[in-house]
Amino acid sequence: MATNDIYKKEYDVIIVGGGATGAGTARDCALRGLNVLLVERDDYSTGATGRNHGLMHSGARYAVTDGESAAECIKENMILRRIARHCVEETDGLFITLPEDDLAYQQTFVEACGRAGIRADIIAPDEARVIEPSVNPDLIGAVRVPDASIDPFRLTVANLLDARINGAETLNHHEVEGMIINQGRVEGVKLHNKLNGEHVEVRCKVVVNAAGIWGQRIAKLAGVNISMFPARGALLIFGHRVNRMVINRCRKPANADILVPDDTVCVIGTTSDRIPIETVDDMRVTREEVDVLLKEGIKIAPSLATTRVIRAYAGVRPLVASDDDPSGRSISRGIVCLDHAKRDGLEGFITITGGKMMTYRLMGEIATNAVCAKLGNTKPCVTATLPLPGSEEDAPSQSDTTKRYSFGERAAIGRHGSLAARIEKDNDIDNALVCECEGVTVGEIKYAVHQLHVHNLVNLRRRTRVGMGTCQGKLCSCRAASLMGELNHDVKSAQKDLATFLDERWKGMRPVAWGDTLREAQLTAAIYEGLCGLDQAVNTQRKEDEQ
Amino acid sequence: MRMDTVIMGGGLSGLTCGIALAKRGQRVTIVASGQSTLLFNGGSMELLGHIEGKAVTAPLEAIGTLPQSHPYSKIGADNIAALADEAKQLLADAGIDMEGSAAVNHWRITPMGVAKPAWLTLNENMRIDSLGKLPAKHLVLMCIRGFFDQPNGMLAQGLRELGFEVKTVEFTTDDITALRRSPSEMRATTLTKRLVSHNALQRIADQINNLAGEAEMVLLPSVFGQTDSTDFQTLQSLVKKPLRLVATLPPSVAGGRMQTLLRHYFKMLGGNYLMGDSAVSGQFDGDRLLSVTTAKLGDMPLRANNYVLATGSFISRGLVADYERVYEPVFDLDVDADGDREQWTRFDVLEPQAYSRYGVATDGDLRCMKQGKPIQNLHAIGSVLSGHDAIKMGDGTGVSLLTALAAAKNILSGK
Repeated sequence: MATNDIYKKEYDVIIVGGGATGAGTARDCALRGLNVLLVERDDYSTGATGRNHGLMHSGARYAVTDGESAAECIKENMILRRIARHCVEETDGLFITLPEDDLAYQQTFVEACGRAGIRADIIAPDEARVIEPSVNPDLIGAVRVPDASIDPFRLTVANLLDARINGAETLNHHEVEGMIINQGRVEGVKLHNKLNGEHVEVRCKVVVNAAGIWGQRIAKLAGVNISMFPARGALLIFGHRVNRMVINRCRKPANADILVPDDTVCVIGTTSDRIPIETVDDMRVTREEVDVLLKEGIKIAPSLATTRVIRAYAGVRPLVASDDDPSGRSISRGIVCLDHAKRDGLEGFITITGGKMMTYRLMGEIATNAVCAKLGNTKPCVTATLPLPGSEEDAPSQSDTTKRYSFGERAAIGRHGSLAARIEKDNDIDNALVCECEGVTVGEIKYAVHQLHVHNLVNLRRRTRVGMGTCQGKLCSCRAASLMGELNHDVKSAQKDLATFLDERWKGMRPVAWGDTLREAQLTAAIYEGLCGLDQAVNTQRKEDEQ
Repeated sequence: MRMDTVIMGGGLSGLTCGIALAKRGQRVTIVASGQSTLLFNGGSMELLGHIEGKAVTAPLEAIGTLPQSHPYSKIGADNIAALADEAKQLLADAGIDMEGSAAVNHWRITPMGVAKPAWLTLNENMRIDSLGKLPAKHLVLMCIRGFFDQPNGMLAQGLRELGFEVKTVEFTTDDITALRRSPSEMRATTLTKRLVSHNALQRIADQINNLAGEAEMVLLPSVFGQTDSTDFQTLQSLVKKPLRLVATLPPSVAGGRMQTLLRHYFKMLGGNYLMGDSAVSGQFDGDRLLSVTTAKLGDMPLRANNYVLATGSFISRGLVADYERVYEPVFDLDVDADGDREQWTRFDVLEPQAYSRYGVATDGDLRCMKQGKPIQNLHAIGSVLSGHDAIKMGDGTGVSLLTALAAAKNILSGK
């Protein structure tokens, strides 16, 4: 549907926030037959959803400190293995005890896991060294748990796709700048279309605030107060995958004690610092954070000391403040669903927050239940059993060796599951690779631009992984920018878009710009500035824009 | 065998220095890793393109205003004009025919259609002498179907902003479609290897003659002539209108060709080119370098009277940054670089980055410094030198060529 027509409709529910929670809520609402619009101020998965480990918790990490969250985790973990199998790699995880840790904690940990319903098997350090060769060989204890690795970008897109298949509308780059409130009732939202600068109003019966840490701002627009507890965590991505399994430290949660394998790379994290709510948009990773992550990461897997760091990033956990713990770790990861009619006397407004990426589906279910209660809808929730697009029983599998897939096809199936069938591959041009690191074809880029709400290169990267390989977009970003310029008939903004994309890549590289990462940066500068003069072109355009 | 000079690094500066020395009868060995940043060069040399973001029109004049730390200042602003002439002649002798003057910059056209100041440009490449006086009004941009390493839309847009009327036409030939059947990346260098036979060139010429329409000049991506410009000349002879090439994304065919021609010329002069090897350490006696150990020769170090360090910047691993410091990896020479990692880079990607100016420290005669003292028989040339920013100043190739010639003169005069 054209964007202008989307504005004109009146919805049962408008969901604010395009992270996993918003996407999960949109899917659930759509499956229960509601008229749904989801709005996102930036791109889908820009906030905490895209800024975590990509760890599918078994819940073991929370077993000792927060039994309730742990039990939620393991339940959702088992559900996601079924409904989102194309987003999950079933790696299992280890909780290791190092000589500096207290081995007695292991017993406490295993018992707590038992209470939460999480399988936790103590294994001998020798066995741990065999099943996970990258682990610190000095370990004195190990416990095996059903942790896994999950792709949060793919998961969010799959939820959004299914929401749209079931009639929902979604808009990225649309920021909520106000609420339409009439006689104590929220009746819609005021939106700013950041792509063309337009301001519009869209009407609905209920607004769901699923904006993560930015939920406090959204609530304020509706005149209600929520006290968020922003806890920032920084992480590092290494250039290749050193570990097969998730590796955790078996101790009370602390800095940099989880190493997660994600596809071809691995991620160490996180730090945890309470930050003022005003700074939640500043995602710069500091030198101190990098130093801590490296120092602790090397203790888990010594080979990280010689592995290239390709990127650093930080996210903010959207917890709701409840006490004055400076580390933010003892606070419950529990789900908070606020019906503001009951809490603040404001009808038509629900906030869903707290929780974790792991429990996004449950959060969606809880929020949808609250919406349905208001609208008198009695249809039951089916999201715990209905597979996401790409994870249906007959969906093609990336690892199916009986099929002769090309590199690009195999990669696309990994990213889009059964929807990869929609990618054009009838001619040589569509099959040609634009990004050789990640196996992205011309056909896949066309598909993303036409069907996955791709307006710029950063959008494209999130949908297809263009530029996410070890070269961090050295040549493929120019090819993709040029191709998108042609597809969108807008060559003029292609250079600015390319510069924005390179800058976004740089923001993650800069905190770890030494070794080969600095080399890559200089190489990229030699190509785009030295050879091509992109800096000159963009500066000229910026001056023109100012005038 | 004892050499007169051992040069570490076989890119533009190393080869230029090697040629200058070999021409004067020196026995020279170049130790080359096999990678050269010429592969990122679209076919132009730059003396000085920008100072603090402003385009330079008269480089010789502007060089006089550079700080003392700039390599040009070290070799003497007064010597630049003569060295520039010498460099142009050396390139021509190697078979690299370029046009341009050190007194006045012209404009090269980048793959994105940006006009950048340049000193020398290959004869077959598109160039503009003066932005007010275009070489033609109506251009046709011939785009190869399925070749993504020329951003055609951006290029056409850029040319239009410069005042050209541009028509873009997509074309292909049997040779190109055959190549496109493979999904892997079609690079400029891959295409070049396909487009060598007279028949292949004739098929391209037929397309151009059919599609060029009323245009006064035909632009093509620079994908002709792996080792010399004969293929381009053949193609031109088959096409009725004047042809010009535009640089592509790397690997650059023109840059690769310049690298090959310089290497052939060096070998023809009797030079010894150790391909795929690199220096790993050196043995010193006080302020003199006695020998250099390489990765492949192991316990047979290279010995010479003089040594030249032409190992390049971070890209070429002539400089290395680790978690704590920036260093020169072969001899641990003194470097001009900030100690604090936070200072190496700037927040915005297109800002001038401090690390671009890092390099080995040298005395006024380009001799490397170690622990504060010059090594008498070790010169540094090219991108490994500190005090210039090849990316923002557009002085990289100029510094490589001129410091190479200046160091050769120092060595020959026994300085």
